[in-house]
Amino acid sequence: MFRRDFLYDFMPDGTMDKTLEREIKLARNIQMKLLNGKKPELEKSEVSGISIPARLIGGDYYDFYPLSNGKLRIIIGDVMGKGIPAAMLMILTRGAFRSAAESTHGPGDTLTAMNKAIYQDLRVLGSFVTLLCADWDPEKKTLTYASAGHYLPIIARGSQNLLELPKVKGVMLGGLPNTEYMESTVTLNDEDLVFFYTDGIIEAQNAGGEMYRIDRLNEVLLRNNTLDINEIENAINDSISKFTNNAPQKDDITMVLLKVNKGSTNITSYNSPML
Amino acid sequence: MLTLSITDDKNNVKVNLNGDLDIEGTEIVNEELLPKLINFSKVNVSLKEVPFVDSTGMGLLINLVKTLQEKGIVITISDVNKDVLEIFDLLQLPEILGTDVIVS
Repeated sequence: MFRRDFLYDFMPDGTMDKTLEREIKLARNIQMKLLNGKKPELEKSEVSGISIPARLIGGDYYDFYPLSNGKLRIIIGDVMGKGIPAAMLMILTRGAFRSAAESTHGPGDTLTAMNKAIYQDLRVLGSFVTLLCADWDPEKKTLTYASAGHYLPIIARGSQNLLELPKVKGVMLGGLPNTEYMESTVTLNDEDLVFFYTDGIIEAQNAGGEMYRIDRLNEVLLRNNTLDINEIENAINDSISKFTNNAPQKDDITMVLLKVNKGSTNITSYNSPML
Repeated sequence: MLTLSITDDKNNVKVNLNGDLDIEGTEIVNEELLPKLINFSKVNVSLKEVPFVDSTGMGLLINLVKTLQEKGIVITISDVNKDVLEIFDLLQLPEILGTDVIVS
């Protein structure tokens, strides 16, 4: 875990206003509990996610939503802005996802419904949200995905191959009203690692202002993707932490990992309401 | 640290931004730059000296463009470097702002 220097204003005597401090801590606790709910447990497959705010609370978001057809819907996103305002919009985004995931057929439909639901609010507030939504089908071993201005996931296959996914373009939420999001599908192999991330990872900076960048991330993924999912997550965290060397970060760092293990895969428990 | 310089010629104004465009530039863009531009009819913002724009900076830029467009002001963004242009493409900024806003 990273140590971060907090960037909030302090009182003239050097202490943060106690009431403000208490309320920020409570808000942080709420956000952390919502973000770090129980992960779905999968047979012969694993998912994990972590979000590390640059400030006391952040604007990045990820979530899992098991569907009644046996698929797992995954979402990761980044609210434009930082701190408390971004955290408030992150909660708005989470509500829109949970509501849309229940009633939509695929990740493209989910993003379309979410944009319809919160477009007006985002315009009034002058904000935007980038999102990547994907359905993992454990039976067919397919990943169907749609993007609202967000980076596509990286698929690491063994120690040599990083797969470039077919591009799907889409405007970030809040960008255009009534926009529709296209989908693409790839078939995964046993032992593939799917790595979803936000820009805070590749834009993490060391004290000299140098960025971590995609090349370092790719290298870590290739070197570690045969490990179990928690070890991979730790390896990535350690790599970023070593690179940044405790330099304060400007952006939240969030990642979601999906590891396809050998054999068939079924979702066996849920962190979302059953349909 | 983001800085800016402005040169104007009657109704037209050119803004040169210098430095990373991120959350540190919020007050500079919203409180310093924006009010200075609303009395012109044509605005050009050069990003020649902006090596990096993060998601917050993108939001600042989009809101700047949309606010001026709503007031009937023609705004263009020019001299965008390759890395920043890739992010513009990912976010589909031309679709959001209009295809004639980002110019070479």
